[in-house]
Amino acid sequence: MGRRKAIQRVALAAAVALGASACLSDSGGDSGGSSGTKSGDGNVEIIFGFGGAQSKGFQAAFTEWSKTSGIKIKFTEASQSFDTLIRTRVQANNVPDIALFPQPGILKDFVATNKMTDLSTQLDVSQLQSQLISGVLDAGKVGDKYYGVPISYNVKSLVFYPKKAWDAAGYKVPTTQAELTSLTNQIKASGTPPWCLGIESGSATGWPATDWLEDEMLRTAGPETYDKWVSHGIPFNDPAVKTAATAFQNLVLANGNVLGGTKGAVSTNFATAGNPMFSAKPGCFMLKQGNFITQSGFFPKNVVADIDNQVGVFYFPGQDANTKPVLGGGDLAAVFNGKDDDTKKVMAFMTGPDFPGWKDSDGFLSPRKDYDVSKYSSELTRQIADIGNKTTTFRFDGSDQMPGAVGSGSFWKGMTAWISGQQSLDQALSSIEQSWPS
Amino acid sequence: MIKVINTLLAIVGGVGGALVLYWVLNFIAERLPGRWEDRVKPFFYILPAVAALGLYLVYPLIQTIIYSFANNTSSAWVGFKNYTDLLTQRDFQITLVNTLLWIAIAPAVVVALGLAVATLADRLAPRAEQTAKTLIFLPMAVSGVALAAIWRFIYEVRPAGQPQIGLLNAIVTKLGHDPVAWLQLSTGKTNTFLLMVVLIWSQVGFSMVLLSAAIKGVPDETLEAARIDGANERQVFFRIVVPQIWGTVITVFVTTLINVMKIFDIVYVMTGGNFNTNVVAVRFINELITNGNAGRAATIVVILVIAIVPLMLYQVRNFRAQEAAR
Repeated sequence: MGRRKAIQRVALAAAVALGASACLSDSGGDSGGSSGTKSGDGNVEIIFGFGGAQSKGFQAAFTEWSKTSGIKIKFTEASQSFDTLIRTRVQANNVPDIALFPQPGILKDFVATNKMTDLSTQLDVSQLQSQLISGVLDAGKVGDKYYGVPISYNVKSLVFYPKKAWDAAGYKVPTTQAELTSLTNQIKASGTPPWCLGIESGSATGWPATDWLEDEMLRTAGPETYDKWVSHGIPFNDPAVKTAATAFQNLVLANGNVLGGTKGAVSTNFATAGNPMFSAKPGCFMLKQGNFITQSGFFPKNVVADIDNQVGVFYFPGQDANTKPVLGGGDLAAVFNGKDDDTKKVMAFMTGPDFPGWKDSDGFLSPRKDYDVSKYSSELTRQIADIGNKTTTFRFDGSDQMPGAVGSGSFWKGMTAWISGQQSLDQALSSIEQSWPS
Repeated sequence: MIKVINTLLAIVGGVGGALVLYWVLNFIAERLPGRWEDRVKPFFYILPAVAALGLYLVYPLIQTIIYSFANNTSSAWVGFKNYTDLLTQRDFQITLVNTLLWIAIAPAVVVALGLAVATLADRLAPRAEQTAKTLIFLPMAVSGVALAAIWRFIYEVRPAGQPQIGLLNAIVTKLGHDPVAWLQLSTGKTNTFLLMVVLIWSQVGFSMVLLSAAIKGVPDETLEAARIDGANERQVFFRIVVPQIWGTVITVFVTTLINVMKIFDIVYVMTGGNFNTNVVAVRFINELITNGNAGRAATIVVILVIAIVPLMLYQVRNFRAQEAAR
């Protein structure tokens, strides 16, 4: 019967379709094509991954400029899902004009697939090199070309302390690691654990410890070895890494050196880890953390309101007083469509000395050496900017550059397991090494 | 407002669409010549369900099995590499052991406690029974993530000398001891057991409700007969009541077992799989989302499916046996 045959055919077709689609997918074909907004139409689209006050401040920074230049900016905020959004849009060939990459990793992926524009066609890169804090531009460098230029940056090699209690106790800011060690012992001898440490951060638990290890790597192994470590030129469990981890262990994790002990550090949230510093009798005296911690919402409210009198900061010292490596991060502006003059103007504005960014109390630091620091709202920010300016080597946060499986996976988990005592240092380092994607 | 309209549209569209579909299928069936109408109709009625199951269950399953033999972006075959890689990793071995522990302990405890509560509540006055059961059932209404968040506070630890906001540590420090980092206690798998407590706490209600209904269905004559024959209460319970509700016990056990095998939220929220508490489902999310390794993620799912399928078959058979016994 005809009907029956029809049913058979439908079933066959369905089976074929099922079978065909069950094959492996091709890894997305590459085709050039339309990019960003049209040239010369006075529109530029910027995608960025920060939200809240930073996003508002960033958008406000363009208000005046847009009036005089006549260029309208389309802001696309992707504060929850920058990685996903940018990857999807690039795959769909629906790219923005400019993207602000919080991590160089994805940017470099796009460079490898020829999606990005060499910035020397957009800006005077060699001039920028002398104007920016030394080394920050290298984060967006692939081969000998620059693809991303930071419009803001942050510093992680900072130690915060409770100014009043610190001065009352008569502690002196250390300028070398050796001095830091003796200061640590001095504070410990007074009966208070010297260090505050909190590495709990929900599903990202462990990241503050990765910053510690990276900063120690920059000091004990030096920037060249650091770079090799980050790019997997040396294995993750290289002796150099073990040395750095041991330095961290001796300084902070040793018995009596950290508030709450190592178990306490693992269960304390990073955001409030420094708060015991500001108790009437400080619970700890030093917190190593990025400059973001001075924004409201981290230290207690009364401390934030009176930040210059309450909070002191010093540079997490190098091995000697003259070597000053700084670990940090930044938002790298990169261009997809290099043929739009409007885009060039926007890039020039964002990287220029007059770009106000967002408020420094919301975490903005200008990567330009000639930035007018009187625009910063607090003495604390000016001190942090000064530490950044005096750096001898700037290095981008290593875990942000490692593959996701390591940088936001096994590295966090390994550090957590090591500090809380489930794994020995050797076990932790070699399990991270094992997880590096081949 | 838009959300409300969307929801309404979805409901109207979904229900209406299903109605129209069945109406059309019915219409076609009725056009067929007499004998054929009766032959075809049942298939037409079952067709949408089978198609949906095929599309959303069978097809993804086959696809997953295929992907488990491919690399991280599903673009090249790697043979059994995903399987050997995973099974030789120490982390994954610990994960498997933890999952096995969950399977071995949690469902049995849920059933035992549920049975105990149901039996004891059965002897209370009706009003007290209602109240007790409602209280025990209450955690069932809370979502897994919220449960985990609540219990995180119970296990919360602060450095010694600071006010303890966690219930357990508040008690411990009041008694003059140092605070304990409960969730980091990996010796003897203590922290895994502490996580199981959360699941058990939330599932006992479910177990109790079903078992309680079953106990109430046990004919009084059988109990009386046993007592007249001189059986004590313990014998009545284990020899008369339990055998008569055995089918329900198995159903509750297997349902909880399958839930436990898929356990994710409690572990993810409370420890993130750290401190040797990882379980298979959390590892799956890590592989898929963090590591972007579709191949390994698929492999983990296949391992989980292989473990769950025999249980499901057992439960389906058990259902059938129960149906047949009625």
